[in-house]
Amino acid sequence: MIACVAVIGHQNNPLYIQSFTEADDALKLHHIVHCSLDVVEERVNNPKKSGPTLNETFLGLLYPTENYKVYGYLTNTKVKFILVTTDLDVRDADVRNFFRRFHAAYVDAVSNPFHVPGKKITSKTFAERVSNIVKSFGLSSAG
Amino acid sequence: MEPDVSIETSCMIRIAILPVGPVPPRILCDYYSMFLRHHTISLSAISSFYTEHQKSPFANQPWDNGSLRFKFILGGSPPSPWEDFQSNRKILSVIGVCHCPSSPDLNSIVDQFSVACKSYASALVTRCFAFCPCDSQLEDGGKKGENLRLFPPADRQTLEIHLQTMMQEIAASLLMEFEKWVLRAESAGTILKTPLDSQASLSSEEVIKAKKRRLARAQKTMGDYCLMAGSPIDANAHYSTALELARLTADFFWYAGALEGSICALLIDQMGQKDAVFEDEVRYRYISVISHYKKSFTPDNAQRVSPLSFELEATLKLARFLCRRGFTKDVVELLTSAADGAKSLIDASDRLILYVEIARLFGSLGYQRKAAFFSRQVVQLYMQQENRFAAMSAMQVLAMTTKAYRVQSRASFSNYPHSSKEIESSHADSGKMHHQSVVSLFESQWSTLQMVVLREILLAAVRAGDPLAAWSAAARLLRSYYPLITPAGQNGLASALTKSAQRLPSGTRCADPALPFVRLYSFPPYPCQMDIVKRNPAREDWWAGSAPSGPFIYTPFSKGEPNDSSKQELIWIVGEPVQVLVELANPCGFDLRVDSIYLSVHSGNFDAFPVSVDLLPNSSKVITLSGIPTSVGSVTIPGCTVHCFGVISEHLFGDVDNLLLGAAQGLVLSDPFRCCGSPRPRNVLVPNISVVPPIPLLVSHVVGGDGSIVLYEGEIRDVWISLANAGIVPVEQAHISLSGKNQDSVVSIPYETLKSALPLKPGAEVILPVTLKAWQHGPVDPDITGGKLASGSMGRQLKDGSSPTLLIHYAGPLTDSGDPPTKESVFPPGRRLVVPLHICVLQGLSFVKACLLSMEIPAHVGLNLPEPVHVETNGSKEAVGSKSKMDGLLKIDPFRGSWGLRFLELELSNPTDVVFEISVSVQLDSCEDKLDNLSAVQDATEYCCPKTRIDRDHSARVLIPLEHFKLPILDGSFFMKDFQPDGVGRNSSFSEKNAKAELNASIKNLISRIKVRWQSGRNSSGELNMKDAIQAALQTSVVDVLLPDPLTFSFRLVRNSVPQESDMPDDSGHEGSVMAYDMTPMEVIVRNNTKEIIRMSLSIACRDVAGENCFEGTKATVLWAGVLNGIAMEVPPLQESKHSFSLHFLVPGEYTLVAAAVIEEANDVLRTRAKTDSVDEPIFCRGPPFHIRVIGTA
Repeated sequence: MIACVAVIGHQNNPLYIQSFTEADDALKLHHIVHCSLDVVEERVNNPKKSGPTLNETFLGLLYPTENYKVYGYLTNTKVKFILVTTDLDVRDADVRNFFRRFHAAYVDAVSNPFHVPGKKITSKTFAERVSNIVKSFGLSSAG
Repeated sequence: MEPDVSIETSCMIRIAILPVGPVPPRILCDYYSMFLRHHTISLSAISSFYTEHQKSPFANQPWDNGSLRFKFILGGSPPSPWEDFQSNRKILSVIGVCHCPSSPDLNSIVDQFSVACKSYASALVTRCFAFCPCDSQLEDGGKKGENLRLFPPADRQTLEIHLQTMMQEIAASLLMEFEKWVLRAESAGTILKTPLDSQASLSSEEVIKAKKRRLARAQKTMGDYCLMAGSPIDANAHYSTALELARLTADFFWYAGALEGSICALLIDQMGQKDAVFEDEVRYRYISVISHYKKSFTPDNAQRVSPLSFELEATLKLARFLCRRGFTKDVVELLTSAADGAKSLIDASDRLILYVEIARLFGSLGYQRKAAFFSRQVVQLYMQQENRFAAMSAMQVLAMTTKAYRVQSRASFSNYPHSSKEIESSHADSGKMHHQSVVSLFESQWSTLQMVVLREILLAAVRAGDPLAAWSAAARLLRSYYPLITPAGQNGLASALTKSAQRLPSGTRCADPALPFVRLYSFPPYPCQMDIVKRNPAREDWWAGSAPSGPFIYTPFSKGEPNDSSKQELIWIVGEPVQVLVELANPCGFDLRVDSIYLSVHSGNFDAFPVSVDLLPNSSKVITLSGIPTSVGSVTIPGCTVHCFGVISEHLFGDVDNLLLGAAQGLVLSDPFRCCGSPRPRNVLVPNISVVPPIPLLVSHVVGGDGSIVLYEGEIRDVWISLANAGIVPVEQAHISLSGKNQDSVVSIPYETLKSALPLKPGAEVILPVTLKAWQHGPVDPDITGGKLASGSMGRQLKDGSSPTLLIHYAGPLTDSGDPPTKESVFPPGRRLVVPLHICVLQGLSFVKACLLSMEIPAHVGLNLPEPVHVETNGSKEAVGSKSKMDGLLKIDPFRGSWGLRFLELELSNPTDVVFEISVSVQLDSCEDKLDNLSAVQDATEYCCPKTRIDRDHSARVLIPLEHFKLPILDGSFFMKDFQPDGVGRNSSFSEKNAKAELNASIKNLISRIKVRWQSGRNSSGELNMKDAIQAALQTSVVDVLLPDPLTFSFRLVRNSVPQESDMPDDSGHEGSVMAYDMTPMEVIVRNNTKEIIRMSLSIACRDVAGENCFEGTKATVLWAGVLNGIAMEVPPLQESKHSFSLHFLVPGEYTLVAAAVIEEANDVLRTRAKTDSVDEPIFCRGPPFHIRVIGTA
């Protein structure tokens, strides 16, 4: 199950953070997302170590933490997508697929002429679409 | 668990350093730092102190390149229960530090030290170092026990060499002790236990196994000692044995320990090598260590003790090793698993140490956020301890995290001293933002996390009793996150600020500003009374070109001069107060009291005046901050110094500008000014402010009050304007000019008075009389509203647009005597003083209408001819207007009549509430001049009508006789068309135009000679401007008024002889009367007023009272002698001709004689005068009627 998704701007500013857990652990998830930026930065700054996936937008598993796994995705505009999931065995393909759809949703959201780049994404449509993607991620991994 | 562990920790010898006797903390620190340098003593250096007592067990001691490593435990520590397991945990040596000046008795020092050493049972070598002993102590000290070492007072370098020697001695002693210990252990064997070993285990174990196990443990311990002795090869040999034995006895815990030791030995042996195979080896072995520690976990004593901490320590050791080699990914994995293990740790302080280490390792990996996250875990553990020291530690740890969360205090910026420079430069190119601040703006969006951190800092600071840190945290929290804090929370923060400030000494400064938000609003220009004008010394009018010449900001002619460069210049003057407007905003829900706020200027040439302000909740306020420049130079104002919530802090304009910029881009939560209802941010250009030496300052006031000058329309009054030099420099140049509307209302300006008053010394005063004349009052003056608009945009124009303004440009001496002549190029500027003349024009007398009246009273026929009007003023007694007779009434000579006399009647009304007196005067000079330039005396001749008084709310009519304006000659100069022969037809349009112009000129001339003056009260007087009205009234009949008839007719009686005249002296009483039944000789005199000869046919008629012709008809009552009809006459130009005749009246009574003539061959002049165009039409001239009284024979 996806605990949290986040969009982080190129200046490491949060553009969108949404948790999908029942519990009141928003702060904790914020911390996890915030900390994951370290790994993203490290991967971006030392592309050699991240291996052959130089041109890959999908950053893979950023780090496992106590109950969560954190995956990252970096767009060409240095916008980061962070996925925090509680599933301990997740297929990479599922995550890739999730990020691809999430990226599409993000592109549509920022293509809105009323969206100011750099501002937080407040679009309801985007939120709805993201929650659909999140739900379907749960389904596909279950099935 | 222990902090700061690494693989090499196993080979370090622990030395406790204890203060003995009182040692001042700072000196103790100094001593400690001296020790810390000697953490590694090479074996080669200690050989001189080393004596081999027996065969050394360390066979492979590397004497040439090996070394002993010390780990100093400052202040000592209690013994660890795991000493047996890891020998490096033992305190193997104790060094006492004594500061002799503060503890004079060496004996007590020795005693105290030996007492202190008792608690360190494991110590093999003890020494007490006494620093700075006096001479007596030096003498004395020699006798004391071998443990006391005195350090004679010396310079630092000597002392350090001395200390180094001592440390080498200690190292040698330790080495010898280790040898002894190893030899003894080999022979005797020791029982080594850990808390992990259950009490019951020994009895239940098989004896053999227990023995083997003991052997393994002994071997392991010997390996430890070898390692500490700097002999890794020996250590490795012992460890190999220990590993073998431990593996056989399944003593996993000790196995892991021995393995750790062997890795350390390997590391020491391979010191300095970088080898992938070696690294893999270390990693592989350490993973095995960790797994063996895991294996040694026994559930039966898990409640009491657990090998988990050793497992985690091993993890950290490996992580540190890999971190140094740059295996980020492995380190992260290790650390993550270590963090996971933290939950199983029983001891809170173990967990604390673990988190500290994790945070440190993440930090050294460059994972700032992770490090910050674990630092916060540390903080939470500290805060659970609920004591002040833990809170202080928590605060310090949090302070380290602030950078990662971008909430750091400004005081923590390493480059804070330079930041003021940056601010200056950022002001210079305002609008550009620093990259740093942009990033911090972006990162400030992690508000959820940031607020938590700041709140924790606040809590920790409060608990730690650090009011300044608490204040700073609360200030940052309130300032940055007020939109996310409830009003109650805001109030809580405000009270936290106040409470913290109460515990601080007054005048405490904090680098972090709290509220309010302060932004630059504007630099108000000097008021127009003090306006500074650049001086152009090359020109006489040095002020020209420096002031805006019109209402237009942009003029196409001032090209090439960039607009902003002139805008950004601001000149301040030493000693003259200046003002800067700033806007304060309090976006929070409580009343904010700013105890004092003043401009903060770092250049030191500005005295700022503090003010205090109260701000209501959610309000903003523009306030004026003032100050005085104190010395010449430039001034930069980076911000304001604010004393609020009991603490002084500096609020930089640049920070707020960045904040507002961020708010505009949606990066920051909220714009504090906007949410207070303040309008959109203005783009304030920060000018370059330069301070110049003093220049004079003129202060003006109108003598008798600075209020409006109330004038009635047309009133003329003198106003005295006093100029005083309030500066400290004399005024050497001054010039007055006029500007604004209605400039012609200023009749005279005393240029000379001002010039003669120069130079105006400081404190001197000059009074300038200015004569004003009020203009016409308009019912609705559109200029006033227009002027107001203009003043709004211009900022420095007059309030009342319709009043004129005196501009006084003045300046001090060209070169300042104090300045060196090298600065000649810079001239001190001048100033412009704007003296608005607040003229308020009231409606005065109002003109109702003007009309031309004619009054016709026939003349009497007398002995003398009536004098022509134009010569009457020449002092003749009949003169109507002569001054001698002028006592207020118009008198009409009965023998002249008033035929053709016109009056201009002016109707005036007085709508005001004062009384006006009107006097009309007519100037006659020009008339005389035209005639014959009789005398210059007459130039000033004025004809004055009596005064007319008009009460309030009444109207009155004033009559002005106009007969004095008749021209004496009717000639062509009046009608221009006569100058052109046959010009009637051809050039009529042109000549008509000319004629009209000429006519208008003469009307103007006429009108300008009529002056209507008024007086009201004692000091109000003026003149009515009614030229237009008069002109309108005269327009139609001006020709009649101005021009004489071509012919003038007059009658007179002819007395034949002088005796006859003397016989009838009584006749003089009724002169001009005629006796009935008597032949009366008479003359008709025809005067030609033109310059041409006129031929005519003259006829004379006489009528009685009833108007019947008396000469003809059946009832003719007058007989006559001579010719009365069709008399052909020729009158030469400007001459008179007489025609005599006699009349015999039959009936007494009143008769009227009228002469008339038909002009023959009339020229154009006459025709025009007669207003006829046709050549054929006869021109008929009729004289005025003359009355003749016929007295019957009594």
